[in-house]
Amino acid sequence: MRKTLWKASLFGLFMMGFFSGVSVHAQSDPTGKKSITNTYAITNAMVHSSPGAEGKKASILIKDGVILGVGENLSIPAEAKVIAGDSLHVYAGFIDAASRAGITRPEDPERPKDFVYSSPPDEIAGITPWRSAVDQFDIESSQVNDLRKAGFTMAHVLPDGGMIPGKGALVVLGDSESTNVLKTNTALAANLNGARGMYPGTTVGVMAKFRDVYQNTKLTKERMALFASNNGVSRPEINPTYTAMSEVVDRAIPVFFEVEDDLEVRRALSLQKELGFQLVLFGLEEYESVIDVLKGSGAGVLLKLQIPDDKAIKNQKEDVSDAVKAQYERVKEAYDKTIAQAGKLAAAGVPFAFSTIGAKPNDAMKAMQTMIESGLTEKDALAALTTNAANIIGASRIAGTVENGKLANLVLSTGPIFDAESQIKHVIVDGKVFDYEIKAKKKNGNGDTASVEVAGNWEYKSETPAGSSGGTITIQKNGNGYEGTITYDDPAGSGKASSTLSDIAVSGSTLSFVFEVNAGGMSIAVDVSGDVSGNTMDGSMNISQFGSFPISATRNPN
Amino acid sequence: MNMKKRHIFLALLLSLSLNFSWAQTPKGSVLIKNGTVLTVTNGTYENTDVLIQDGIIKKIGQNLSAPSGVTTIDATGKYVMPGIIDAHSHVALDVVNEATSPIVAEVRMKDVVNPFEIGIYRALAGGVTISHAMHGSANVVGGQNATLKHRWGMDDPAEIIMQDAPRTIKFALGENPTRVHGRGNGQQPRSRMGVEAILRNGFNEALQYKKAWEDYNKAKSQKGSTAIAPIYNERLQTLADILDGKIIIHCHSYRADEIYMLINVARDFGIKKLVFQHTNEGFKVAPEIAEYTMGASVFADWWAYKFEVYYSTAFNAAILQKNGAITSINSDSAELIRHLYHEAAKTQRYGGLTDEEALAMITINPAKQLGIEDKVGSLEEGKQGDVVIFEGHPLSSYAIPQMTFVDGIKYFDIKEDADDQRQRISPTEAVEPILLSEEDHRCMQDTEHLFETASALFQMNQ
Repeated sequence: MRKTLWKASLFGLFMMGFFSGVSVHAQSDPTGKKSITNTYAITNAMVHSSPGAEGKKASILIKDGVILGVGENLSIPAEAKVIAGDSLHVYAGFIDAASRAGITRPEDPERPKDFVYSSPPDEIAGITPWRSAVDQFDIESSQVNDLRKAGFTMAHVLPDGGMIPGKGALVVLGDSESTNVLKTNTALAANLNGARGMYPGTTVGVMAKFRDVYQNTKLTKERMALFASNNGVSRPEINPTYTAMSEVVDRAIPVFFEVEDDLEVRRALSLQKELGFQLVLFGLEEYESVIDVLKGSGAGVLLKLQIPDDKAIKNQKEDVSDAVKAQYERVKEAYDKTIAQAGKLAAAGVPFAFSTIGAKPNDAMKAMQTMIESGLTEKDALAALTTNAANIIGASRIAGTVENGKLANLVLSTGPIFDAESQIKHVIVDGKVFDYEIKAKKKNGNGDTASVEVAGNWEYKSETPAGSSGGTITIQKNGNGYEGTITYDDPAGSGKASSTLSDIAVSGSTLSFVFEVNAGGMSIAVDVSGDVSGNTMDGSMNISQFGSFPISATRNPN
Repeated sequence: MNMKKRHIFLALLLSLSLNFSWAQTPKGSVLIKNGTVLTVTNGTYENTDVLIQDGIIKKIGQNLSAPSGVTTIDATGKYVMPGIIDAHSHVALDVVNEATSPIVAEVRMKDVVNPFEIGIYRALAGGVTISHAMHGSANVVGGQNATLKHRWGMDDPAEIIMQDAPRTIKFALGENPTRVHGRGNGQQPRSRMGVEAILRNGFNEALQYKKAWEDYNKAKSQKGSTAIAPIYNERLQTLADILDGKIIIHCHSYRADEIYMLINVARDFGIKKLVFQHTNEGFKVAPEIAEYTMGASVFADWWAYKFEVYYSTAFNAAILQKNGAITSINSDSAELIRHLYHEAAKTQRYGGLTDEEALAMITINPAKQLGIEDKVGSLEEGKQGDVVIFEGHPLSSYAIPQMTFVDGIKYFDIKEDADDQRQRISPTEAVEPILLSEEDHRCMQDTEHLFETASALFQMNQ
């Protein structure tokens, strides 16, 4: 319900932008967005052409979305816009090998009058292999902006839906004027989630139904072949499900199976072994015990680009019994094991990549740094973001390295990409340059001792697609931690509503907290994180499913 | 080493390493000395040793000596009995009910076995080495069950599934399937008559399905055949497998009339592999159960939790047993599973069964009902080394299991085990959530989404 509200406001905003755009700009370029040139030269930058390759000072020439040259003595044509790369490090653009950025799940169709929950139509039961991610993708989504800002230039987008949501597509995260599509019909998305209130309702039902759909697709193909070449053969029943599944059965495209932990990995692999399709597993969070299994399976592996929340560890109290201490120790051990998994997987020789589904792109680099601190080499980390991903989605000819002839998808950062101090300054997608503001890092050492003071009354403003809004954030000290409240425009219509803040944390100059908004009977979590400097804060507000939006606040001096 | 030899050597190495990565389930060796050995099938022996080698009971006798490398355990003053078998459990399953159709024979509980569930360890602590992980009772024909061996600590679900156990499937009669489908959703079955109709129609369809494939396969073998393959349907194939005697039915049932109905349906379709579960009114049709089925698996004394279980008696197990029906006592609960030996002892209070008869209720009898009596269920040479050592006689109120072995490997030791036996710890939860009502009665778990009203939800247990 709330989603509809948001969509309505989104639509309103877009319409406004559209009309104002038309009135201002000249006729030859009604959008006013066309760039002056399509030729760029990044001069004298530290170029990291592929994972593990030593960084080399070089210039890069780009024209019409393609890398035309990488080297020391390039001649720069007059029409090239020069990006001075002297203090910058250049990497191949990152690739999100399984993404739902910019994807909106289509409304469920209405149930027919004669609906029978035990044999629902495929479309209602979440079996929609004919759907394409392209139809659900919106390049202007803030999720796409977030992903691009984190250095991602290409995404393998998967549709959202039930147990078989549909086919994926490979897109560049480029210009909003373009479809950005590189390839459609790349893979079949699948998961183990049941439909609600109908067959198949649970993982066991989904697995049985998957076998059923697969086997009957096979048989339908046989019947069709027989029908096509013989007389006296009854007409085979052809339906959209079997037609769309046919490429999977032919092993022309892989199944991208969403799995979270080792048990789900084994479930997807058991289906694969039984039926014989090509398999890529994505979304893995807990997989230490199946590293050998993954290695031997031949399946592609895409980890969820996220590390677990460490609040369960940070909230551990000092003054507890030995039994509780022992339990704390196990939580800590579980956490350490979780963040060390990626390193072990790489060491075992599994060339994995990442999926950002369910992860926050804003935290991607922090997640990478944590994995690297826990044993993942920088080479393997970069490979996961670039070359491995390109391999798994079949795009290594055009992407994954900084090389002559590849798509001009690049990330330019202020330092080595995995350094905590480094920031992404430009992301070049498809030859189009996106610039990002570089924030001056505060020098406050490390550890909480140097944390800024955040208590006080703050007035904030935020920009969302629904327009700008604001309110007050009140934060007080409570023992070692903080407590607080936030007010905001009541989603129910008029006036202000308020919520209690939870997980208030201060790390260095960064303040973060979470609050829940109740809208239309549903509760939605909002993550806020910002940089505090004196009496101002600048940051972003992350609303699950909708992406992140800027927020700024000033403290009332009193 | 010449080339040929080297190749053979390498091939041997390769096959060895392959065997290693596809490792057999772990098997151990142990000598349990000087206990009171309750064999269940061959009497009780004092001051007797049990030698398990490579997972198999090698020798039961006196003054056995341990082969080199085999650990000896002193069981002086203790009781040694076969591992307890629970013929009705939902422990270690991530999903219990695919409730969404009156027949879901195609679903496999083996797909959703969770070897990390702490309930397995708790069951071991109650001496239970094998449980029958069943689909729930929301459908007339539920899913195919998994027989589990409680090998605690395994990562791979396949390693706790008893691979040499025959296939079994869940059926359910009476109030649960009629409530979920009839009252909850206006579909057949709305009544016990509807339940029977679902069964008979299902089996008749399965016969047609089987014939369609047989005809097709026969036609296809002819040259130049243009025969069209029938639609694949694992649901009907599974029902056909039941008709072919490949699967044992375990049917949730309470009332005598519905029990007798299923006996008649089974006889009409030539089905012989049938076990009744719960069977509270089994005592009324005990001779029929004895004659036509593989018996009944009952509660010791649970009743009155809903209308169809008011007419019940704690003498049920004893009456069934005295009438010659194979009878077992089960838990259907992650709590009761920890003290099935107490549940078995109740047959002595209510029915005066002998020690051996009472112990058979939780060992050899459930083994027979699961089709594994040639492998487990008693202490006999040649059987699998599933053994429990008790302090106190297992039928005594003071009995405490000390050690539990599966295939000769010790998975529970009351003295040596660490306090925290969890295998999986959440990195993001300071305190694991504890759900007070979750562990009980899971027969109707995962059916919530089929019920629209709170009143229906209220009545969902069992």
